[in-house]
Amino acid sequence: MNQRLTPYLLSAPAAALLAGLLISPLVLLVRVSLFEPAHGRGFFTPDTWTAANFAAVTDAHGLRLLGFTVLFGAGVAALTLLLGYPLALFVRSLRPRARTAAVGIILLAKLANLLAVLFGLLHLLGATGPVNQLLMASGLTGEPATLVRNLFGALVGEVYLILPYAVLVLFVQLTGMDPALEAAARGLGASAGQVFVRVTLPLSAPGLVLAGELGLMWGLGAFLGPLVLGGPAEITLSVEVHRQAFEYGRWTRAAALALVLLLAVGGCLAVYGLLTSRFRRMT
Amino acid sequence: MTASRITGLALGWLAVFCMLAPLLFSVWLSFSPDSFLTPPTGEWSGRWYVAFAADRRWVRAVERSLVVATLAAGVALVAGTPLAYAVARYRFAGRRVLLGGILLPACMPPAVLGMGLLPLLYVTRLWGHPAGLVLAHGLLGLPVVFLIVRTHFDQASPDLQAAARGLGASPAQVAWRITLPLARPAALAGAAAAFVGSLNEAMLALFLTTPAAETLPAVVWPHLRYAASPLVAVASCVSVALTLVGVACLAVLYRYHPKR
Repeated sequence: MNQRLTPYLLSAPAAALLAGLLISPLVLLVRVSLFEPAHGRGFFTPDTWTAANFAAVTDAHGLRLLGFTVLFGAGVAALTLLLGYPLALFVRSLRPRARTAAVGIILLAKLANLLAVLFGLLHLLGATGPVNQLLMASGLTGEPATLVRNLFGALVGEVYLILPYAVLVLFVQLTGMDPALEAAARGLGASAGQVFVRVTLPLSAPGLVLAGELGLMWGLGAFLGPLVLGGPAEITLSVEVHRQAFEYGRWTRAAALALVLLLAVGGCLAVYGLLTSRFRRMT
Repeated sequence: MTASRITGLALGWLAVFCMLAPLLFSVWLSFSPDSFLTPPTGEWSGRWYVAFAADRRWVRAVERSLVVATLAAGVALVAGTPLAYAVARYRFAGRRVLLGGILLPACMPPAVLGMGLLPLLYVTRLWGHPAGLVLAHGLLGLPVVFLIVRTHFDQASPDLQAAARGLGASPAQVAWRITLPLARPAALAGAAAAFVGSLNEAMLALFLTTPAAETLPAVVWPHLRYAASPLVAVASCVSVALTLVGVACLAVLYRYHPKR
């Protein structure tokens, strides 16, 4: 066998999989978005060209969808960082055996069936669920608070799905830092707050940037959280793609929406990359 | 231990526990004796498990999910392992493109991938056929297998292969007798991770399954949206149990290293 061919032969199966199931669907997505909708049978009219699908998804309603999706994604990313960072700091502070247990729990949460997690949340947060019982027993509310089928539910659901990844990324970053630096800062007379702001936070910035990027990327594509725990107003582009394709059978419009989503993700990640480029260089 | 340290520990563990709370609550609900989805406090009942096992639709869905996950893990393994070797040991044109491209399945919003795969499977007449979902989940498992196996090849020394070659083994013999056995724990751990990932993947499953060939998520999700059923809690519990089996395999395989 020709030695120079070996790496190409070895990468051929993976390259075929990527070309067949990642590149070609994207090409097909563009093509379907330019078909005329179906008249009668099928899901689109073959051999037609039209830009009308994009007009339908970039009207006022479509722009509202896009705006909500971007805000929702940014909110999910911010919440995962705000919750994930203290959690990762806590896990780092544990002794080895307890740390292994905590990481195991978080890994299980990451690997768990998303629908099982959302089903549990649906009933934990429901009108008669434990959270509401606790709220009422503590006298915070007189009647059950609405915690699902609204924006709160959608955010909680999506944050739950993404948080384990953020905690793991931040934990790896935090444990990779030299602990002597924080100890030295303490020894030189810095307060706990100063050590955090001047040493821990800057050193862990690359991990924060990466966790934020993942949160933004997946938050923008949010689908199951808003679908299961959101209400009629919490419609992201992903949910609308699914709805157009399966409730109305309009594949052409769904494809156009999916392309808008893809562009939105790319655009937001590019902006995020520009905003955070200063912190990346610190690695 | 100071009071603030104890408060911190309690709060921290509470937060860690909260990450698992929805899952534990689903499992708890599945033992409810009535059909109103109230958590069983006094009397625990296995009646919904009996009902689950007696319902062809749920049992078929579990079976199909297991078959899809196994085959998808196989696809990811067969495609990901040689790529990891090529990237770790060779410098070749297109290497950087592949290194970036391999991560794309994890970066693509599932709705975009699903909406792209849907017409592809439709025109190839694979829509509703489990093979479509196998390939899609294989694609999702590809980066997982690749990353785990590549870590192995990056750490493993190429000296053993060189020694075997020097002693007269053919390249095929080296691959079969040295390289692959050494990579086996990492490759199988990657496959186990891909298996668990496929088993619990719901978004592409919602796009690509049809009533004729439902996997577990496809049966579960209408219940989440429209009607609650204790059977969904049982399905959650079953998926948690299967996940734990997969994770246990992963942990055992990843710790096991053949004698060097």
